[in-house]
Amino acid sequence: MNSRLFPVVVLFLVTAFLIGPFFIIVAASVSGGETLAFPPQGLSLKWVAKVFQVESFRESFAMSMLLAIGGTGAALVLGIPASYALSRYRLPFGETIRTVVALPIIVPGIIVGLALLRYLVVPFRFNITLALFLAHTALVLPYAVRVVSASLNNLRSDIEEAAVLLGSSRAGAFFRVVMPNIRSGILAAFILGFVTSFNQVPVSLFLSGPGIRTLPIDMLSYMEITYDPSVAALSALLAFMSIGIVFIAERFLGFSRYV
Amino acid sequence: MFHNRAEALALALPAAVFAAVVFLAPVVILLAEGFHNAEGWSVAAYTGFLSDPLNRTVFLRTLRLGATVTVVAAVIGYAAAFAIVNLPPTAKGRMIGLVVLPLMISPVARTYAWIVILGRTGIVNQALTSVGLTDEPIRFLFTETAVFVGLLQLFLPLMILALISALENMPKDAIPAARVLGANWFQVFWKVILPLTKEGLVIGGTLVFTGSLTAYITPAILGGSKVLMLETLLFQRVTVANDFVSASVIAFILIVMSFAANLLLKRLATARSKR
Repeated sequence: MNSRLFPVVVLFLVTAFLIGPFFIIVAASVSGGETLAFPPQGLSLKWVAKVFQVESFRESFAMSMLLAIGGTGAALVLGIPASYALSRYRLPFGETIRTVVALPIIVPGIIVGLALLRYLVVPFRFNITLALFLAHTALVLPYAVRVVSASLNNLRSDIEEAAVLLGSSRAGAFFRVVMPNIRSGILAAFILGFVTSFNQVPVSLFLSGPGIRTLPIDMLSYMEITYDPSVAALSALLAFMSIGIVFIAERFLGFSRYV
Repeated sequence: MFHNRAEALALALPAAVFAAVVFLAPVVILLAEGFHNAEGWSVAAYTGFLSDPLNRTVFLRTLRLGATVTVVAAVIGYAAAFAIVNLPPTAKGRMIGLVVLPLMISPVARTYAWIVILGRTGIVNQALTSVGLTDEPIRFLFTETAVFVGLLQLFLPLMILALISALENMPKDAIPAARVLGANWFQVFWKVILPLTKEGLVIGGTLVFTGSLTAYITPAILGGSKVLMLETLLFQRVTVANDFVSASVIAFILIVMSFAANLLLKRLATARSKR
């Protein structure tokens, strides 16, 4: 094949394969027909409207939002000091701590969910929502530590040492000198954590109860009952939400270098 | 570098203790359960699990899908990464954005799209019927092919990104030099590009392979109970049969495979930073 044409063809096919399905969901979700079909049978927004009427979707969306925002927030509260200790202090057992904190990324989520169900929720009659919250926090923690550590390592440590020498307290130096400089790293960690938690399925599989479900789990069980286009509409809405978040993040933070 | 140990521990321990209590301890207990029965410690659960032909099928299928997805992703990944690296800067940035984008979209949404494409009344079947290639719609959903396509779409971006960074780190004149010296494109790939981007290939390959092995959503939506993989089997054993012993065995297999892959990655990363 012509060596100039080849790259164009490859890029076209790969983009079509990666992004094409997204356009198909969007098209299917504005269909006027009763079943999932492409090309859509007439234009209508009724399935998009239905998404907002299904009560379980509303509840599980709220739950997913709560977990994604709360879990990522908690992971950052735990992760920022840990990253700071790992990058700025001679920490005893530093490597062990680093490994333990990074573990949740390596162990498949379904196992974490099952283990929490068996040994936390059942024996201690633990609240499911709280268990979900802890699981999502643990899941996001490795990302928080990785991204925040990366931006701490890019920041010269002599500026805070200078602040301390000039009489600032250690905490004062952290909040007034370090924090403002790693703000975009923290924001990137938050966005990455939010997206990871919001889209997470396996961790939450076993941790659901009556009325307590995350949105992706709710979508999975809705799909088992019916193939109507409302799941397509919801998928399209979620995809638009992710694209919006990533676009804004890329615009202001150059997000892709943190992924 | 600060030297106050107490301060350092006070900062780092909350995260470490949290991960140990909420995550490590329950998982370790779960794994231990698979090595323990009424008579004490034993591997009976493992021999029992592997003697069931259904479990063996699922185990081998999971490995097979993981391997084929990885190999195909590597082939497509090289072509795509090579094309992207040679683009002018602005176009390159946009293409990388397009590759990263799907990673941010819910995997449920991305997998769901394949139902629209591969279903009985989906695009592929409509096209085939209208061209007259088939009278009856062909069954794509709930086959291994559907799961393969879904996994490939889910994980291909990881391979492309790993290969892009490997190709960018390659000396710029290696390929022209080989061409001038008379190598054909096959030789250039085999003797120049592949050895110089081996680490990127291993990084991408590990991510794609472990991702595919531990996938739940794709086999659940596109495979159903006909094409079980290890994670969907685990879910089924627990929810249908309350069989926590098999669950523990599957969990151990999955964790061992994930860890082996990650160890390999880490070793490569240190080898590279030493050089």
